[in-house]
Amino acid sequence: MGRLFLISLEGKIYSCKHCQAHLAVSDDIVSKAFHCKHGRAYLFNKAVNVTVGIKEERLMITGMHTVSDIFCVGCGSIVGWKYDAAHEKAQKYKEGKIVLER
Amino acid sequence: MPLSLAPREGLLFEIWGFGAGIESQSPIAAWGRPILSVWSSESALDWGFSRPTSAISEDNEPVRKLIKLFIDPLGGLMARPLPSQGREEMIGPKGVIKKIEFVRTITKALYSLGYERTGAVLEEESGISLYSSMVDLFRKQVLDGNWDESLITLHKIGLDDENILKSVSFLILEQKFFEILEKNRIMEALETLRSEITTLSINKSGCIVSPSQRILLGFANVGTETLKPRMKLLEELQKMLPPSIMVPERRLEHLVEQALGVQREACYFHNSHESCLSLYTDHQCGKDQLPSHTTQVLQEHHDEVWFLQFSNEGKYLASSSNDKSAIIWEVCEDGELTLKHKLIGHKKSVLMVAWSPDDGQLLTCGMEEAVRRWDVHSGECLYVYEKTGLGLISCGWLLHGKQLFSGVTDKTICFWDLDGKELDSWKGQRTSKTSDVAVTKDGRQIISMCQETVILLVDRETKIQTLIEEEQTITSFSLSGDDNFLLVNLINQEIHLWNIRNDPKLVGTYKGHKRSRFLIRSCFGGLEQAFIASGSEDSQVYIWHRSTGDLLEALPGHSGTVNCVSWNPSNPHMLASASDDHTIRIWGLSKVNRKRKETYGNGACNGSSK
Repeated sequence: MGRLFLISLEGKIYSCKHCQAHLAVSDDIVSKAFHCKHGRAYLFNKAVNVTVGIKEERLMITGMHTVSDIFCVGCGSIVGWKYDAAHEKAQKYKEGKIVLER
Repeated sequence: MPLSLAPREGLLFEIWGFGAGIESQSPIAAWGRPILSVWSSESALDWGFSRPTSAISEDNEPVRKLIKLFIDPLGGLMARPLPSQGREEMIGPKGVIKKIEFVRTITKALYSLGYERTGAVLEEESGISLYSSMVDLFRKQVLDGNWDESLITLHKIGLDDENILKSVSFLILEQKFFEILEKNRIMEALETLRSEITTLSINKSGCIVSPSQRILLGFANVGTETLKPRMKLLEELQKMLPPSIMVPERRLEHLVEQALGVQREACYFHNSHESCLSLYTDHQCGKDQLPSHTTQVLQEHHDEVWFLQFSNEGKYLASSSNDKSAIIWEVCEDGELTLKHKLIGHKKSVLMVAWSPDDGQLLTCGMEEAVRRWDVHSGECLYVYEKTGLGLISCGWLLHGKQLFSGVTDKTICFWDLDGKELDSWKGQRTSKTSDVAVTKDGRQIISMCQETVILLVDRETKIQTLIEEEQTITSFSLSGDDNFLLVNLINQEIHLWNIRNDPKLVGTYKGHKRSRFLIRSCFGGLEQAFIASGSEDSQVYIWHRSTGDLLEALPGHSGTVNCVSWNPSNPHMLASASDDHTIRIWGLSKVNRKRKETYGNGACNGSSK
């Protein structure tokens, strides 16, 4: 692969567990109470060094959402998902935010 | 009473003047001053008159005057245009060209080209003479040196502008003065000076006084430059007289050049040198002028090629790779590239190269490692620059090749002289690990990453700092050839063009290529850098039109991300691209166009035609 362009973060950093690319900082955590297939996950305001996959409708514990999987730019492994749209009003706060798996 | 006049010379007519009106407005001139046409609707007063040389009558009686009229369609243009004047013949598909002007301009061009006979025949056949008879007479008188007569004729030509009349008269009298002086008839010259020139009361008494002082001293050192040959005087007079009286020199050539200029400006894909403009067809380059065919694939690298750049003169290409080496290629006469030197020595991937201003040396930068200086001709490594405990991430030249600088992993920029002595270190700029640094050719402005979305420009002399602020993270940037523009690549797949001449201004945006993971570079290129090219993660080379931002080409060929592109500064038809597929591709015109270039090329098109 070519010359990777990676953004470096400062502070308490959460990185990709495979290649250690910086992904997000703890200041951007919105909630720690999320769950994914493999366990816990955190909701962040934003993340760096990730690429976004295609949008799809997914039924989650909290209801139907439009999400896209996100991948680490460094190694390509899947690191979480991004909320594009929430169908229920109560879940609207998640839109545009990113969940990174623990 | 209405009169109709046919356009012939020398018709004698009786014209009645009516009452006070005429005299007060314009005392009727006695002599041949061309009149366009005699009537307007209502009044007999509506005649075109220029300034008279002498008033005939000032009484208020109706006056009967005998006027010899020279009807001259050409000279008449000096008068006030009248509503009822004869319809001027227009030619050309749009009907905006006046036939008279067209023919006269052609006649003038024929004479300047030396085709005296043809010019004369044209004048006769068309019935349109180049100069009115008065003007002809005037010219002859000037060339013969009949100054006094020429002045009289001058007043008859029909000039509206008093100032022009004065200036022309002054020049003639000045010439008369110097010619008399030349013949040493000093008293006569003084006479001319006092009586004739000063009566013109032009504000040029300053320059008149000094020659006269010299005369009083008995010393007339009038240099030959003041005594012009009469032909030159005539040329100067021609420039002062209104163009319709004397068609300006080379008017036709000027018009044609103007048209060619407009065509050239409008040519969207223009990418060849000026000599290829022809009069036979409107100039319009096709897309075929862009280098869009792979002419060569260079496969000497063993791993991804991350960077490449043509030398300043365009004779060499340097490339650097993940295989820890850099290669210098030579551009041969026929446009083929051959391997000149392989530069081995780095222990890490080579991030970039930088050509010295004279193309004699090359800097290479290993990834977070060292910077090496190489001699281009021998391929030898001349020096290794390092900073203990730290890594270097970019490199460049300063001061006409006497100093170099490098970006360091500790977010500083370090400056060295050629022998490795550290001269300076700039701290405080927050630079990321993949930061670019660039320097303008005069060594004054240093451009570096300040924050993720901000570029800092520092003027080394004035110490003034300017910022370019973007909304998205910046991944790389490059300077234009004239150092006035900066091309900035953003993380969101946009390329922004900034004018950095004074206060930075965003002047262009280019989109379409793909970038999500890697550092992709873009560059300026083509004739007068009219195009922007970039690599892309979809393995294509993208080319945009610089001023409009239109995407012109997306060239397939590579089988991996195209990391970097470079356009040959001395060959607008040669583009190079570096890719993750381990190869470098050289792009040029298609075979057909290359052949065409050969047949038309007169050497001025470009140096390395096949």
